[in-house]
Amino acid sequence: MLRNTTTRTLAMMALSVPAILGLAGVAEAQDKFKLGMAVGGNTCCEWMKSQGDVARALAEKEGWDYVELSNNNDPATALKNAQIFVQEGVDAVIQFNGQPSSNPAISAVMKQAGVPIVTYDIADPGMYFVGIDNLAAGIAGGEGLGAIVKEKWACNPDLVISAEGAAAGIVNEWRTGGMRTGLKNVCPDIPAEKWVSFESQGDAAVGLPAARDLLAAHPDAKKIAVVGLNDGGVLALINAAEQLGRADEVIGWGQDGAFITGDNVNPHLAGSVFYFLEGYAVYAIKDVIKPIAEGKEVPLKADAGDPASKVQPCPVTAEQAKAVPDMAERVKQLLAAPAGTTEYELFCPNKG
Amino acid sequence: MSFNQAIETAPPAVPLTVRFGGWGTGLMLLAVWLLLIAATSLYRPDFFSHQTVLAVTFTMAVVGVLAIGQGIVAMSGGFIDLSQPANMILASLVAVRLSEAGMPLAVVIVGAILAGMLWGAFNAAIIVFGKLNPVIVTLATNFIGLAALFLVFQLAEVPIGSEIYHFGRASFLGLPAIFWPMLALVLVVGFLVPRTRYGRRMIAVGGNRAAAKARGISLKATRFATFMAAGGFVGFAAVLFAATAGPFNPGSANTLQLNIIAGVILAGISLAGGRGNFWMLLLSVGFLSTIPTSLVFFGLSSDTQSIFQGFILVIAVAIDGWRARRATP
Repeated sequence: MLRNTTTRTLAMMALSVPAILGLAGVAEAQDKFKLGMAVGGNTCCEWMKSQGDVARALAEKEGWDYVELSNNNDPATALKNAQIFVQEGVDAVIQFNGQPSSNPAISAVMKQAGVPIVTYDIADPGMYFVGIDNLAAGIAGGEGLGAIVKEKWACNPDLVISAEGAAAGIVNEWRTGGMRTGLKNVCPDIPAEKWVSFESQGDAAVGLPAARDLLAAHPDAKKIAVVGLNDGGVLALINAAEQLGRADEVIGWGQDGAFITGDNVNPHLAGSVFYFLEGYAVYAIKDVIKPIAEGKEVPLKADAGDPASKVQPCPVTAEQAKAVPDMAERVKQLLAAPAGTTEYELFCPNKG
Repeated sequence: MSFNQAIETAPPAVPLTVRFGGWGTGLMLLAVWLLLIAATSLYRPDFFSHQTVLAVTFTMAVVGVLAIGQGIVAMSGGFIDLSQPANMILASLVAVRLSEAGMPLAVVIVGAILAGMLWGAFNAAIIVFGKLNPVIVTLATNFIGLAALFLVFQLAEVPIGSEIYHFGRASFLGLPAIFWPMLALVLVVGFLVPRTRYGRRMIAVGGNRAAAKARGISLKATRFATFMAAGGFVGFAAVLFAATAGPFNPGSANTLQLNIIAGVILAGISLAGGRGNFWMLLLSVGFLSTIPTSLVFFGLSSDTQSIFQGFILVIAVAIDGWRARRATP
């Protein structure tokens, strides 16, 4: 009898060890802050993948759990991802949604679940806005180009071409329109008939045929200034001009800094505006996510004009950009820097 | 002379006009193309310029070579190869990596063509040995390929100043250097297909599989060779693409697909197989490449071309169906 009782007690104790360990593990997992990250998932842009890589590395440094999903540049997928994040029990979400039509629905899902969400660059009333002032970035780029157009052509170009990316919606209007405004700030007397546009889709290869067609439709234009949504769109026009034998007097100024670093920079790309998009997680974590993880109340700032965290634009000439490392190196240095250090602080040659 | 040889050298069983689409298609295409050029020139006389010719012929070059590959698949009864975008990006990436390694242009071209053929063999292996529908298989391999490519790279570009870069910007006899290989390939393929053993086998398999099998033609071998050859053309198109596109990403070739299919159908190459004339591709691809340029001269944005392309594709498919019904006894 005694032997049976002892055996039973020992068996109970043996069984309880893994149960206690398991419960402790669950409790620890429940205590651990969990960050969800929805990357843009558009194959156009290397920085979209890097945004996830940086967020993951910073979350790991903080000791948080991290879940990453891709929006596949598709609004329906972005909404589905929001629902998955809720099911996964994340404590906060960061997203870049390049197809923002689903943002109101995502906002509603997150609000109902009580999960705060940060949106990069494209504002939504229910989300913390972290990003660039796109209009200011556009104007800064336009003024940079304007300085060159003024010096080289006495503000008298034959044509000013806008490489639009209509799918980006308001961001395209801010950036491309902002560049036109910036150019007009320096060269106010360029006649209206000299301003033309083409749809570049923000992609050098995809926008190329349309760029060639536009140049063919303006066969007499020699001095051509190019602005656009991003470096890719501007490059579409520059490449087209090279192919039609008209590159001698083309000057482009892009946005996003994607093609202005490294040793393969097109000589007609005179400048760009860095946002250091891959490093946005530094801003989001420093100003929104970490305070939330620490149990602090973070007021919802959803407006691009009064953001939860503001990214500084960094306009650079091609010459200045030579001092800026390529994206892989920037990410490496960013992750090695003290917590909270931004890429603007590390790499912008023109910081104020 | 073996039975097989006797069959392959025998005169065609169906009238030449039916098998090769006839010249009526060509005359119709030429008339529509000239009408478009005339209408645009009337509206904007400067349309008729060297710049316009350059813009159109640059576009024709890549689309034309891809259309040869698509035409071969269609003519062999494989319907369409929906994996061309993934194949082209893969071969373009090979071209970029070889040119980054400082390889001469010839090596870059051979490498890209081999990559394209390898992709074609991959498709063929699944289709032939799995006995699966080519349309579904190539749709699936396109998805797989693009996703896999995205894991490998986000952006690629031939080095500025490399041989392939200069090739993409060079001209010969007033036209882009990349246009001439396309022209030569269309002419050579159009000449060889109805006149060589392989070409006739391909047409026979596409026209009537049961009859081709009865003649002793290996359906598996013919289809395998067809997809590999088509992949090779995509590989060469990738060289022209990489030479001109600037920085590209895994999704950069997706927008080409509709234009190529429309070009093949408009050229009278039947999607049901066994019928078509590759020379007509020059007219169909030329016509389709002129449309977006004309739209810009009319003051419309070139992105409205999708609307026109969509309508043209519907009309082309309707004509293809009408031709098929007419050809059926």
